[in-house]
Amino acid sequence: MGFFSILVMAAALILILYPIISRGLSAYIFRATSEHRRVQFTEFGIGSAQEIERETAEVTAARQPVFDMIVAHEKDLKAELQEAVDQVHALAAAEGGFLQRSLERRLKRAHADASVEEYLTVLTDVRKSLEGQFDRERFTDVITLITERKQRVEVETKKLTEMKHALRDLLGPLPGDRITELLRSHYGQTRWDRCLHYQDKFLYRYEWDYSNPELSGLKMRTPRVEDFRGTDLEPAFAYVRDNLEAMMQPRLTLYWQFLTTDSRDAHFFGGIWPEVLGTFYLTIGAMLFAIPIGVIAAIYLCEYARPTKTVSLLRSCISTLAGVPSIVFGLFGLAFFLNTISVSESKSVLAGSLTLALMILPTVIRASEEAILAVPFTYKEAALGLGAGRWRTVLTVILPAALPGILTGIVISMGRAAGETAPIIFTAAVSVGLALSPLQTLNSPTPALPWNIYNLCTEHEAVDEIRHVQFGMVFTLVALVLMLNIIAIALRARISRKLRG
Amino acid sequence: MKKMFKKIANCAAAAALTAVMAGPVCAGETIVMDGSTTVGPIAKAFAEFYMRQNPGVNITVGESGSGNGAKSLMNKTCQVANMSRFMKDTEFKAAADTGVMPVAHVVALDGLPILVHPSNAVKNLTVAQVREIFMGKITNWKQVGGPDLAIVSVSRDTNSGTYECFNELVMGGEKIGERTEYVGSNGAIRQRVQSTPAAIGYAGLAFVDDTVKALSINGISASEATVRNGTYPIARPLFMFTDGYPKLGSHLHRLVTLCLTEEGNSMIKETGFIATTDY
Repeated sequence: MGFFSILVMAAALILILYPIISRGLSAYIFRATSEHRRVQFTEFGIGSAQEIERETAEVTAARQPVFDMIVAHEKDLKAELQEAVDQVHALAAAEGGFLQRSLERRLKRAHADASVEEYLTVLTDVRKSLEGQFDRERFTDVITLITERKQRVEVETKKLTEMKHALRDLLGPLPGDRITELLRSHYGQTRWDRCLHYQDKFLYRYEWDYSNPELSGLKMRTPRVEDFRGTDLEPAFAYVRDNLEAMMQPRLTLYWQFLTTDSRDAHFFGGIWPEVLGTFYLTIGAMLFAIPIGVIAAIYLCEYARPTKTVSLLRSCISTLAGVPSIVFGLFGLAFFLNTISVSESKSVLAGSLTLALMILPTVIRASEEAILAVPFTYKEAALGLGAGRWRTVLTVILPAALPGILTGIVISMGRAAGETAPIIFTAAVSVGLALSPLQTLNSPTPALPWNIYNLCTEHEAVDEIRHVQFGMVFTLVALVLMLNIIAIALRARISRKLRG
Repeated sequence: MKKMFKKIANCAAAAALTAVMAGPVCAGETIVMDGSTTVGPIAKAFAEFYMRQNPGVNITVGESGSGNGAKSLMNKTCQVANMSRFMKDTEFKAAADTGVMPVAHVVALDGLPILVHPSNAVKNLTVAQVREIFMGKITNWKQVGGPDLAIVSVSRDTNSGTYECFNELVMGGEKIGERTEYVGSNGAIRQRVQSTPAAIGYAGLAFVDDTVKALSINGISASEATVRNGTYPIARPLFMFTDGYPKLGSHLHRLVTLCLTEEGNSMIKETGFIATTDY
């Protein structure tokens, strides 16, 4: 029976821990592309400049054929429009006078380097001004030509824009793109798994077929190459399909900086250091407040308090407090520490630590009490018999003997403090913030792992892009709690060994 | 119990004292932003941009909902309350009572798209239809030209500014039906809709991606032009509230007016919202 229950427990543990570890580790160990190394170098100064330069050159060379094909395709499109532009030129020259000047001024923008879009706007302008003439019948031919060419090219441009968009998602900004403010538009995919996802989105167009009104639409997958049959762009798709490795240069990487660097652009890039540090501060802070108060309270209850009704009431109150849901502590912390006595101007690590301390206090008190009560009565009698005072007895005999038990309580509550989300939502946690210095913890809020895991999975605007960060955080939190526990257990073992002499 | 609280209070008071004394020693400035999850992407982008430009300033962004943002501002626990709705009378009064004068800064415009699962054949609904769906009067997609599926309506929680706006612009005094689900954030709405073929929900423009389908309303889809000129019927401004107008040239002032600069403009557009000014 006992064996069976252990087996069930082990199975459950593996069931829970396996995905956490396997998916969580993928935030640390994954096939990183050249984009990842470029992010690391430009944003965090990690890596050697020469290496990056060499790699960028290689990658750019591998990508260049696609870019060239786009340019060639655009040139074709422009050539189609150029005919209309030439016609307008001829018309302007024939008309002379004001109309010529006005047309020529507009046409000036359609020079050899201008984009297809620019050509289209110019032609729209020209058509408008021709249509505005009182004798517009004379220009019918040109207007028809412009309209027809424009229509055809506009359809093609729309497809091209979609394709470029998909390519941009994969590779990052294309040559000639304006670099914008948000970092996510500066780089392509940093992870090979995401690369494959976006490669698929580049190669195939997903559309919904609503032809049967009775049923839900069906997802249809059409190769994007169909849009560009017979154009210069046609080979681009086979090229991207076959040469993605050369274009992205994926390499299996141990990304330990995930733990030690801060995040960029709302967790799109970089690591989780501020969150880890925040969790650390909150846990340590909570322990700083809870341990002394808790142990002192336990000493009072066991050694000093007379067994009156009030004390037993107090005891049951403490037990009840241990069962209060953590969100209640969170709201209490907000109402008491922040709004009533304002320990800090805003949410802060201090307020969060105090709230967490309150939450774990009952556990610490109960565990300490049990530990103190478990110390054999003979110890106390011996100490008192040797003439030690009550306080001295507690300090030198009872506490050391009870220490292992007290530590156990502390270990359990430490894990709880590190992992609780509810108490810190209103008192300490924010979704974006810098890593704090110890002094800043007194008045600044901090990101913290439990809250940011929740935030990333429900509130972040691009959840699906950064799943790996979320799993990495979960893994780190579990590892952190495990580590704290192991340290405490080791400490405990050492102390008990010492005690046994 | 009393004794314990006394001890804790003492301890807290001591800590508070340390905090006050340590205050001036702290280098740099902390600006705390709290509130709407809808304004969140803009606030996060602004915060990071500003911190990159001004090292030493620590800007934190919390996303707890517009209502909580307003409460934080009146409790003076944040300097900027991000809100996806305007402050209510009661909030203004409560703020004035605590000596806080909320000043609104419009940072961006939002189209509040109505979202359905991409497999849903419905392309367009009228405001009246959306209202009736959320009231529970229309219960099957068949009634509005879609597949034969019972509608699952998903709404934001009542703390949300997006909920208030939806209530005002779409429901117009009618009550949201009992069968509507309530979820806590824009992201949660999207996740519910992308995983439920019969779902309908609403969220900020920045939260629309290709896993959900934004419907056109009264035949008009939400775009920069239709939101700005008011033809898209469910549009609204997004706010940052401060206590009084911030001191000119201060970090706070530059942060909340970042939306007027070219960089701010481009960030707003990139997150998916619509900038108030054009460059």
